Amino acid sequence: MQNKHIIRDRCILLVLLLIFSIGTYSLFGNNKTINFLELADYQHRVKGQVKDSNGIPIPGVNVEIKGTSYGTFTDKEGYFYVDAAPTDVLILSYIGFKPLEVTVGTSKELSLALEEDVTNLEAVTVNAGYYTVKERERTGSIAKVTSEEIELQPIVSPLQSLEGRMAGVEVEQGSGITGLAPTIRIRGQNSLRNSRNDNGNYPLYIIDGIPIVSAPIQSPGTLTITGLDPLSTLNLNNIESIEVLKDADATAIYGSRGANGVVLITSKKGKLNQGKSSLEINMYSGISEVSNKMKLLNTRQYISMRKQAFENDGVIPTETNAPDLMVWDQNRYTDWQDVLFGGTAFANNINMAISSGNENTTYRIGGSYNKLGSVFPGDFDYNKLTANVNFSHKSDNNRFQLSFSANYGVDNNKVFNGANFVNYALSVPPNAPPIYKDDGSLNWENWTVDNPLAVLKQPQDIKTDNLLTNLNISYGIIKGLRFKISTGFSKLDNEDGIKYYKERYNPNRWERIKLGVNQNYSKRRSWILEPQIIFNQTYGKINIDALMGGTFQDNKSNFLSITANGYPDKSLMSNLNAAEEVRITNDANIHYRYAALFGRMGLNWYKKYFLNITGRRDGSSRFGSDRRFSNFWAIGGAWIFSGEKVIEENISFLSFGKLRASYGTTGSDQIPDYGFLDTYEATEGIGGLYPTQLFNPDYSWEVNKKIEASLQLGFLNDHFNMEVSWYRNRSSNQLVGYPLPAITGFTSVQANLPALVQNSGWEVLLNSMNLSSKNFSWQTSINMTIPKNKLLEFDNIDDTSYASQYRVGHPLNISFFYQYDGINQETGFYQIVDANEDGRYNNDDRVVIKNMGREYYGGINNHIRYKGLSLQFLFEYIKQFNGSHIFRATPPGFSGNKPVEFLEAWERPGDNENIQKVSQSFLAIDPFYNTANSTMGIEDASFLRLKNISLSYRLPKHILKKINVKSGQIYVHAQNLFTITSYKGLDPQGGSGVVPPLRTITCGIKVTL
Amino acid sequence: MKNTRHIIIIFFFFMQSSCENFVEVDVPDQKIVSETVFGSDEAANNAVIGIYNELFKADFSNGNFRSVTLLGGLSAGELQTTALNEEMIEFEESEILIENSYNLALWSSAYNIIYLCNAVIDGLRKYNGVSEEMKAKLMGEVQFVRAFVYFYLVNLYGKVPLIQSPDYRENALASRAEKTEIYEAIIDDLENAVAILGESYEGGERIRPNKYTAMALMARVYLFLEDWEKAETYSTQVINSTENYALLNDLDQVFLANSQEAIWQISPAGRALSVIPNEPRIFILTSAPPQSNQPTAITKKQLMLYSKKDIRSEYWLGVFPTDVKDYYYPTKYRIHDSEGIKEYSMVMRLAEQYFIRAEAKVHLENLTGAITDLDKIRERANLDLIMNLNSGITGEALLDSIQIERQRELFTEWGHRWLDIKRTGMAPKILSGTKTSWQDTDVLYPIPEEERSKNPNLTQNNGY
Repeated sequence: MQNKHIIRDRCILLVLLLIFSIGTYSLFGNNKTINFLELADYQHRVKGQVKDSNGIPIPGVNVEIKGTSYGTFTDKEGYFYVDAAPTDVLILSYIGFKPLEVTVGTSKELSLALEEDVTNLEAVTVNAGYYTVKERERTGSIAKVTSEEIELQPIVSPLQSLEGRMAGVEVEQGSGITGLAPTIRIRGQNSLRNSRNDNGNYPLYIIDGIPIVSAPIQSPGTLTITGLDPLSTLNLNNIESIEVLKDADATAIYGSRGANGVVLITSKKGKLNQGKSSLEINMYSGISEVSNKMKLLNTRQYISMRKQAFENDGVIPTETNAPDLMVWDQNRYTDWQDVLFGGTAFANNINMAISSGNENTTYRIGGSYNKLGSVFPGDFDYNKLTANVNFSHKSDNNRFQLSFSANYGVDNNKVFNGANFVNYALSVPPNAPPIYKDDGSLNWENWTVDNPLAVLKQPQDIKTDNLLTNLNISYGIIKGLRFKISTGFSKLDNEDGIKYYKERYNPNRWERIKLGVNQNYSKRRSWILEPQIIFNQTYGKINIDALMGGTFQDNKSNFLSITANGYPDKSLMSNLNAAEEVRITNDANIHYRYAALFGRMGLNWYKKYFLNITGRRDGSSRFGSDRRFSNFWAIGGAWIFSGEKVIEENISFLSFGKLRASYGTTGSDQIPDYGFLDTYEATEGIGGLYPTQLFNPDYSWEVNKKIEASLQLGFLNDHFNMEVSWYRNRSSNQLVGYPLPAITGFTSVQANLPALVQNSGWEVLLNSMNLSSKNFSWQTSINMTIPKNKLLEFDNIDDTSYASQYRVGHPLNISFFYQYDGINQETGFYQIVDANEDGRYNNDDRVVIKNMGREYYGGINNHIRYKGLSLQFLFEYIKQFNGSHIFRATPPGFSGNKPVEFLEAWERPGDNENIQKVSQSFLAIDPFYNTANSTMGIEDASFLRLKNISLSYRLPKHILKKINVKSGQIYVHAQNLFTITSYKGLDPQGGSGVVPPLRTITCGIKVTL
Repeated sequence: MKNTRHIIIIFFFFMQSSCENFVEVDVPDQKIVSETVFGSDEAANNAVIGIYNELFKADFSNGNFRSVTLLGGLSAGELQTTALNEEMIEFEESEILIENSYNLALWSSAYNIIYLCNAVIDGLRKYNGVSEEMKAKLMGEVQFVRAFVYFYLVNLYGKVPLIQSPDYRENALASRAEKTEIYEAIIDDLENAVAILGESYEGGERIRPNKYTAMALMARVYLFLEDWEKAETYSTQVINSTENYALLNDLDQVFLANSQEAIWQISPAGRALSVIPNEPRIFILTSAPPQSNQPTAITKKQLMLYSKKDIRSEYWLGVFPTDVKDYYYPTKYRIHDSEGIKEYSMVMRLAEQYFIRAEAKVHLENLTGAITDLDKIRERANLDLIMNLNSGITGEALLDSIQIERQRELFTEWGHRWLDIKRTGMAPKILSGTKTSWQDTDVLYPIPEEERSKNPNLTQNNGY
């Protein structure tokens, strides 16, 4: 009952919001009731031309009648036509130029000049999801990456383009395998559930208005175990912008799904071009290789270390205990990193798009093909094919508008199921036997472990195809009021199979090996329907921009997993029918439904004071019937104080100053479906039913309260801009798999945990136009984030299994370590402190707590332009720790290659080395592996990486004319060119267990015909 | 302006009302709700079949690496490890660490089966869709299974939490119940099962317990409680049910599916496509040790128990000769590859009932009766009968003979020997000689550390 009261109370809030919006409307609305159609009588057609300060016409300038959403774009000669009344004010905006407002007056022809804006701040509009706002006027925290920046990077996932470019957004590719889902955290980890199978920290992805399931696609392979990127099938060249919504003001309109932030991806639209079509071609080719390799022992060093170990232990090497000394060639040397992942991968990309448009209709049709080789030996690569259509139409009087977009992408990723692959590269002794026999087949003779290339004989083939369509129809009912309906459909099919060839095994086992495959099928279908009413009106100095709408969303997903065995021949392994035995190991269907009612009202007064109120009532099928709905809301405000006379007159160097703040709530329903139902499933054995989980009918929404304050300043005519933001997000009512002792029958149950997680931090953006002249400009932008994550409350944490994972008052991303205590001068082995002096080492002795998350991070971007030549380079920097590379290896003296640091091992008392005595006695094992979990086991993994560098040259006009090309550009792009770090493992981000990120250099050409 | 307001208001209420119903979704086709399960005889019956299926997958009962059979065999010294498997070695040496994952699996899987039982009992009580007749039968079977699991828990761990409802809110912080309380619950469950269950096996399949199965366990429980009269009564009833049971003279027949000797068996059909129990897969050596798939062999101590005449060593032991030494392994089960299911995993069989009755009779001072029962087993093993050898044997010596015979007969079946030496108090004497670091507290396995970290009310056994 009590719960119903709460719901009712919250309903009242929303109703109040509604009444408020209608009330305001009637208050101001009655003074000026001019019917839209009547107004048309006063209108006349205005022709205008827009040029830059050099008198060159600018195409594509957005021309809008102030206070309405009616507008047009200039054509390629800079002309526009618009029907407007003499009192109407036109707003012209274009990226890179200051916006211009002109009153139409009575003249029928206008000649207008836009002033170049040294920074982008003023002219840019940002997509806030259901509405757009001007960068200058926004009340929320929204970061943006544009197509120009995305296209600089030879990457596969759109999310990778955000790396280092946005404050408050952590993106990590993790490994050099193409197609994997990058990890993305917007303003930190909010949910305690952070595991691969159950994660409550994914942001919401929205592509052209359609929400996409953000969880990675499950994959069975060991190289792809972190999951596949659901966005990898997008064409990066077709993305107009990516916006990331961070604070309550921006995310509350997404209600329950906004807690972890929202990533909005907008695809390119056709441009007005007076009906003439243009063809854009962009193609590049390049090469990739792993960005780093570890320094390991060579054969001489390795053998001497091994001999030393036997000598130290007083053991005689024999063929069984030391094949590397007694059987194998003592002079052979193989660089296993080079053999296993030292290859060069070729990258090729071609993208084409035709676009055209007149005042009523624009379209853009494009396609792309992308192929990336692999750095592994063998036949592995990544292929992507995409097609996209965008079509917009509006009626002559602008009342009816329609837009349609479709993105289709297919990719095929060929990898292999390479368990231990990287580990092999680092640990196989350098004098191990040859990898191939003379006939080219794998050599197994004398190998004491599996031939490291054997895993290549378990090829994995991943195919995904993805269709996203979106249709928007709107109709202006009366002036200032528009009805809009937005619908979308998305479909993703993934097939992921691993084949196990017999060559994967030692030939002496071939007779007993059955050829087998492991095949997974994932399907995701979703549709969304969002009717909306949009209201926009200006009353004197006050402008109201409001919308109200509803969401109906339906997601179906299916996961099917099949294993099949006993194929008569390798060539038949794609056909299940050829298998002796086929088994369905998983077949799960999930149906998720979501409904919401939302509203937003933006008010601005004198373009100086801004208020933005948003609210949303959400319902989700993931909760029991009593807990299904919840309300979320936010309020944001901004004050452009530089617009105040006092400031304008007294502080002349201040060209822009804005204060903004927001507060609100969002939520999360990112939990497994159906947890509230008391259900049975079929047992694996025939005819049986059994409950597979504990059920809890009572769990409810996670609540995330966000507060933010920010100061934006522009100096010296906006040559220098800065923005400093402080935020604090608090997630309570944590929805977790609440750990239970097994005596309850299971080890967890879905429940709300009384825990409070806080993410707070500072974000700083600096943008400086260091030099600017007609031919030369140099612009630097810097972003920096100092995140603080803290578990504020967690009652009785010691009674839960989280006790060994989290600690109240500390960040979530912590690890517990033993205190390292140097090398025991008697034994020569590592020692650690037995904190409670009970004579053994266990969790109670792990008393040192270290934050393994980022201490601070950011990016430094420079853009230097000289005439047609443009150079951009982006550094990404992160301050953090990672596991030490030393303990990826076996203890010094044991079989297996080692980092070169192992050369400096302890030898006699008094030695002050970092590596324990070379020995392969069993006494050496525990000290070594315990120390791996001590303060000695982590290393400073801070780095500064040249994430991206790009040099491009815009072909001069006279050449273009000769070859009859509208514009042309040649470029060189490079990714991960170098990294400055003291970390000695493979990669400071991925550690030493995964393939390091690839270094890629590409050359390309972009022309418009 | 009125129009605008009307439009907005109508829109608002239209949306509001349509949202509420929209988020209702159907139960997905891979799940059915409890109400439906206990809404018909057939589905409720399937929920109980599910328990028997799961018994073949549950670690403690599946005869695999973490089963009572293997771990109990190691603890008792029937089996030894031949490959490096740290967690098994801890059982072999009775030096089990509290973090031992095999121990956690043993414990957790047993409680998972208890949950399945409690859920069925709860469902049968809560919903009314099942006929009274079916309800009683299912209740009896499930209570039997629950009693069976508790029997092992209390014998392996001593005091354990007594969980009798599926409600995790109550159970999560349960304390350990006294052993007497657990035995009372076991007897309660078994009495009900004995009263309700029918006398025959359904469809001739010995997978689902009947009245005699419950009695057989009752006899064992009373033997452990040293209530000799009841132990004798119940075992006699089982032995007298000759329409159900007989000792099979051909030792090759004993472990076959639904053999006349079987009182209760678990079918490998509990896992899709598996046609053989786990025991033959893990015991029968297919290549020379050490190898991780078959990490154990019969100990010398066990091997020494058999005289040349004893045909059990011929039928139930196999040998894998190597240059270094001969490895022996149990062959009670054979590998019958892809020919359909031939063997079920034996849980209880008639031979044990003879032992129970013999032992009870000794204590009730009916030595002749005891000798007769023991000789039944000896006769089948082709051993000389005690009746002939030494009919004036003392009670104490006879008890020793019974224990030795149990060892020879019941090895590698559900940890009989481990439980026997514990209940008779012989464990310290026997094991301190063979296990270097033996402590008398090692007779109980540790409560898994992970359980104690999640439930602070769980105390640890002494010595850990």
